[in-house]
Amino acid sequence: MLDQTLTEFLEQGLAIHIGTRDARLRPNGCVVTAIRVEDQGRHLVAFIPKAVTPAVFDDLRSNGQAALSFTRPSDDKAVQVKGEFVSLDDASEADEQFARTQWDGFLKQLDLIGLPGKATNTWTLWPSVAVRIKVTALFSQTPGPDAGAVLR
Amino acid sequence: MSLGLETLTPCFQGIVPAMFFTCAKDGTPNAAFLSHVDYVDPTHVALSFQFFNKSRRNIAENPHALVRVIDPDTHQGYALRVKYLRSETSGPLFDRMFLRIEAIASYSGLKGIFKLKAADIYEVESVELVPEQTGVTERWSPRSRARQENPVFTMKALQEMSSRINTADSLDGLLESILSGLKEHFGFSHSMILLAGEKPNTLVTIASRGYPQGGAGAEVEFGDGIIGVVAEAQKPIRISGLLRGMLHARAVAMRAIESGWSPDRQVPLPGLENPESQLGVPLVVRGELIGVLCIESETPYRFHEDDKTTIEMLGSHLAVAVQNMQLRETEDAMQTPRAEPAAAPPAPGRNGSRREVTYYRGEEVLMIDGEYLIRSLPARILWKLLTTKKKDGRCEFTNRELRLDKSLNLPDYKDNLETRLLLLRRRLEEKGPDIRMVPKGRGRFALELGCEIELVEKA
Repeated sequence: MLDQTLTEFLEQGLAIHIGTRDARLRPNGCVVTAIRVEDQGRHLVAFIPKAVTPAVFDDLRSNGQAALSFTRPSDDKAVQVKGEFVSLDDASEADEQFARTQWDGFLKQLDLIGLPGKATNTWTLWPSVAVRIKVTALFSQTPGPDAGAVLR
Repeated sequence: MSLGLETLTPCFQGIVPAMFFTCAKDGTPNAAFLSHVDYVDPTHVALSFQFFNKSRRNIAENPHALVRVIDPDTHQGYALRVKYLRSETSGPLFDRMFLRIEAIASYSGLKGIFKLKAADIYEVESVELVPEQTGVTERWSPRSRARQENPVFTMKALQEMSSRINTADSLDGLLESILSGLKEHFGFSHSMILLAGEKPNTLVTIASRGYPQGGAGAEVEFGDGIIGVVAEAQKPIRISGLLRGMLHARAVAMRAIESGWSPDRQVPLPGLENPESQLGVPLVVRGELIGVLCIESETPYRFHEDDKTTIEMLGSHLAVAVQNMQLRETEDAMQTPRAEPAAAPPAPGRNGSRREVTYYRGEEVLMIDGEYLIRSLPARILWKLLTTKKKDGRCEFTNRELRLDKSLNLPDYKDNLETRLLLLRRRLEEKGPDIRMVPKGRGRFALELGCEIELVEKA
């Protein structure tokens, strides 16, 4: 579902957030430090800090609905991935290294637009968990009249 | 119990984008960046509604949402659990958000595409710290510390500025006093003043400070950029995180162009190449727009919400001072007797230097050595001075005789002659320093030439 071009875009180091919801349809959300596309684009693994609000993990386990927003700060190009929760595990050491490299890419993007990446030094981003999500739909989310258009 | 929302105003400056989480009726969540979140009161925020996107459709089905903002001073994240109440399409709040977006849209040539449809008002049900986005305590934030140690709009600074303004004895001196005062007393290194232009609904740059090129004579039409929008609305605009806003607007532009939309003329940013904060203050006296003061900074959050009242007060004071000086110079000039035909001193002609001044009568444009100098009334005036000097040998002139000269075609009411003469003098300083208009007392000046001048008139 996620082709090579889209995979490269998503894995370059972007502003990533995951949105979930509870049984009463109240939204929750948090930061995602990095993602890895797997299984020929049918799944992705989102690395989420363990420190985030537990509501996000509760939502994923209870109803499985997820929306991941990807935005490149330097030009606001953005994509939304809808998906269903598959599994949640502690991130391995190799996973953490992968995620940190991607996060550094994001910080470089922030520096490009005058937001100092070092401002995030106080954030509690590690350790993290690896949340596996099955991709169900893709949408363009770049701001403008066509935001929300289905991608392929 | 207070939510503490009033302490989070730095989060609502647009410096760090906010995230907006919603959920459709069928249970599908959505996450998206927000263009702008504005503080309304201790229990409400307003979100900008610009496009009918998925978030907006979700809110129509399910009013509960989550907004996450980041304090640009401390980098602490906050989660606001909110509930949609209503949309406003007029009123002070809508106007404030509209003007900010309008100014950014104008810079990007996106007027009509990138505009505020409504200010959506949300009740804030709770505010929580975001656990993974832990920030530094405010007193250790570099920006907060700098602000506490060196506040900007203090009463002392206003008093000193006022004293400085009161000692000015000419419009030229007054404008210089204002701009130098803004630097010395308020720390603003980049500023400009534009006064009403000759053409209706235009402003012309009359004085500036802190830019490599002075830019005297640069025109801004009402509605163009922050200055034009301030003039049109006659309301101050304060923008922080301008770069973020521009990037957002450009992303919209790219999408719109892909859809077949063609952009308006791109209006270049005046002043700094990459301003992060801009403040436009209308200079208004009894409902009449005298001009606009524009201050820029490369610091993202230079102008704070709590400075607003002082800024408006400063604008009113400056407007009255400028108008009074304009009126005084006009009255003084009308009482000045006609200049005696004094013989012009010989032009030094540095090493035989020579300049060609060409007047295009049809377009009323003056060029010096093929380079644009000025047009309209100031061009007619300079051409008159130069030809008179060549014909009669006179070098001293009065504003009064210019005002009474029918060939110059000054308007009968509010000719702003003194402002136009100041503009002409500034343009000559920048583009033709060999031609000088030297003040010789109230309403009187001498035309001094530092080189040989060849006059060429074309249709």
